[in-house]
Amino acid sequence: MHKLAHTAVPGSALQHVLWPAVPGTEGARMLAMQYQFAQSERWSPEVLAAAQFAQLGHLLRHAQATVPFYRERLAGLALDRPLDAATFSRIPLLRRQDIQEKFDALCSQAVPADHGQSYPGESSGSTGRPIRYLKTELNDVFWHAFTVRDHLWQRRDFSGKLAAIRGPGRLQPGSGTGWGVSTDAAFHTGPVAMSTTEQSLAAQVEWLMRENPEYLMGIASNVQELARYCGRQGLRPSRLREVRTYGEVLHPGLRSTVRAAWDVPVTDMYSCREGGYLALQCPQHEHYHVQAEGVYLELLNAEGQLCSPGELGRVVITPLHAFAMPLIRYEVGDYAEAGAPCNCGRGLPVIRCIAGRVRNMLRLPGGGLRYPRFGEYQFGNFEAVRQFQVVQKSLSDIEVALVVARPLQPAETEALRALILKNLGYPFNVSFVYRDAIPRSAGGKYEDFRSEVAA
Amino acid sequence: MNALPQLPRSICSGVEWPALPDDSSAQMLALQYQFEQSQWWSPERLQDLQLQQFAQVFQHAVTTVPYYRERFASWAAGITSWEQYRALPLSARRDIQQAGADMHSTAPPPGHGALVTTQSSGSTGNPLVTRGTAWTQLLWHALLLRDHLWHGRDFSGKLAAIRSKTEGLSAPSWGPATAAFHTGPSVIRNLTVDLDEQLHWLVREAPDYVLAHATHIQALAARSIELGITLPGVKEARTYGEMLRAEARDIVRRAWGVKIVDSYSSEELGYMALQCPASENYHVQSESLIVEVLDESGAPCAPGLIGQVVVTTLQNFAMPLIRYASGDFAELAESCLCGRGLPALRRIVGRQRNMLVRPDGVRYWPSFPAQAWADIAPVLQVQLVQDAVDHIEVRAVMARDFAGDEGQRLIAAFQACLDYPFRITLRRVDAIAVGAGGKYEDFVSLLS
Repeated sequence: MHKLAHTAVPGSALQHVLWPAVPGTEGARMLAMQYQFAQSERWSPEVLAAAQFAQLGHLLRHAQATVPFYRERLAGLALDRPLDAATFSRIPLLRRQDIQEKFDALCSQAVPADHGQSYPGESSGSTGRPIRYLKTELNDVFWHAFTVRDHLWQRRDFSGKLAAIRGPGRLQPGSGTGWGVSTDAAFHTGPVAMSTTEQSLAAQVEWLMRENPEYLMGIASNVQELARYCGRQGLRPSRLREVRTYGEVLHPGLRSTVRAAWDVPVTDMYSCREGGYLALQCPQHEHYHVQAEGVYLELLNAEGQLCSPGELGRVVITPLHAFAMPLIRYEVGDYAEAGAPCNCGRGLPVIRCIAGRVRNMLRLPGGGLRYPRFGEYQFGNFEAVRQFQVVQKSLSDIEVALVVARPLQPAETEALRALILKNLGYPFNVSFVYRDAIPRSAGGKYEDFRSEVAA
Repeated sequence: MNALPQLPRSICSGVEWPALPDDSSAQMLALQYQFEQSQWWSPERLQDLQLQQFAQVFQHAVTTVPYYRERFASWAAGITSWEQYRALPLSARRDIQQAGADMHSTAPPPGHGALVTTQSSGSTGNPLVTRGTAWTQLLWHALLLRDHLWHGRDFSGKLAAIRSKTEGLSAPSWGPATAAFHTGPSVIRNLTVDLDEQLHWLVREAPDYVLAHATHIQALAARSIELGITLPGVKEARTYGEMLRAEARDIVRRAWGVKIVDSYSSEELGYMALQCPASENYHVQSESLIVEVLDESGAPCAPGLIGQVVVTTLQNFAMPLIRYASGDFAELAESCLCGRGLPALRRIVGRQRNMLVRPDGVRYWPSFPAQAWADIAPVLQVQLVQDAVDHIEVRAVMARDFAGDEGQRLIAAFQACLDYPFRITLRRVDAIAVGAGGKYEDFVSLLS
């Protein structure tokens, strides 16, 4: 087995035993998972694929037997035999529109009891097409495991302080004694401080300087504005070691902006609410490793063939353990460039870069900048809405472009307007326009919020 | 389709990989995760963690173990440095035996699980009764699993074990140490069964792995060569419980074409050292115990020198053993080329009673490989017993009496091996008595 890079001693739950630690039940499960990850990340691509297809076989048999949508779709597949890539690639892609229209038929009628409780969620996605999904507590177990893998890969010092700036409504601002449930199950961690993008940039910076954390985590575009602001003011949190970004594609120049302002590296991750972690940044490079233990990820070119290194293609995922609502060959809506095998020694597939969602900042009538949130995670409750794009036309006007299955009822329009206004937090004039389609910008990025107000 | 590596056993419906094991298997894998890291740590970092863990043991011992409360009264403030640690007096086997129940903690931590009593065989027939807990048992199993993983054993294979204190039996798995994985079956035979019968049993069972005492494996392999019997399915011979002679590795390789992987353990201490996957060194299991090799003055031996083995258990809170002189002697190795930071022993040479004393005062653990004398006469097994400073009795198991000059030539061969003109008496015996626990010693001194 390859030498493990991280040397932190886990927390022990057994009296008088500090080392080797005997963690509690959750901690032991977490380390058992990390033990497996440490091996599988070094497997050859062929062995990884064999393990994935063995697991996919379980998922597909479950889907065929218990999910109405797949009963028909998978009917022609011989699932009593070992699955292979050629057979798998014959399954039609699942589109966001399928999920929007056939939510009930996509839910399993017999979720295994030992996968825990099922719970619903919403995702605006990175292309402005809102969906609802169903997950289980088991999916959370894997989410936590990949979170910890990221810490271990990047050799984070668990005793440090973590500061997180989240979107509105995600977490209550405040402070805590540990980094969170993912990490605290197995390791003793330092404190956490939480803020929100609802705060003005100046307030966020003041908070950041006061908290002076070792690690800062935030949405890419918000982090970029923070770094620019601090760079202009010459402000640098003295203990800061690393910035972690999530939720959007990295703006060009983000890494250099952060480096110039704070002299620390940026570590990005690629995840989605409905599919979990898709890829984590390599500890030695700026590209990403697919989290192959949790997801089978295909990058398909215009011909529907797997992309070669250097080729940009559609991201198609199959989460390996989504038994409440299997998403088989699900076209997320992002584009990504396939990478060549990595020289770090990991056999996990490489994504060189991701072209997903990109967001401008919202310009406030008073002259400030704010990370925009407009209630997009509840858009999935408006069943007719297929896709959206929010455009700031002026300091007082917001235009919402919608692709719809049918025109919205007046009551729906008003409810949507109220949702958007509540989240924007300012009394903008909100108007709606209907479109047949909303294209991506050049470069493949999708702007679900765009500001046309000059800086 | 590529074959999958050995995956842990998953108990979650529809989830094969990554496995979601049951709680006890998760603990086992959590320990392996830590072992994977700690084996590569620097000696300094390992020692730091050991000292922190020892401080816990020491505090517990002086407050809850009557024997240590008295013995370490002047160290009641605790141990915070290796200098303080090395100043602690040694305890010999007889001290532990005499202390009896005073060695037991009056307050073993409840979380460490049920108490487990073990009785070490003791090659002198003088058993030592020790106590452990469910936690020390788990650690024992975890270190055995580490041994399997280090040596890349194929869990789907069949394991054949020849042991003392057991009846013949077969089981569908390898036992609790490998419960986190699917394994093949295991079969066990008692070592007192006739050697040829054991060999034919091995042929019938066709195991992938054979486990037995070192001398027993050596005898089986030698007999295989004599009878022209091969064991083509065997991938590895595993030995334990006795000193492994260098020639045993050669004989097993010639007989079955496989290597021996040895381990160093005792009933009271568990696994002390496991053979390195990349060499014939033994890596101390530093997560479980502190092992010192000390010279006659009590100072640490330099690599290459033989000294007594002194051990402290780091995880036994029912009956801690602190600076326990086990009676074994070993040679410390230079740092191992494999890169592991775990200390390494080059060889375990045996106990005091296995040491030869010459009339000129020179003392050493003798070696008399079979190549030097096996061709002289049809000797099946020997044991050398030193009963006077200048006299050795060679007990030989033979199918017939010595003929011609065989006796004289044998005596000359042993004198050459021992590098001294001892008076040697040959005695033909029907069998060589083994000690308690079925352990065989090829050299015994009655002088010590």
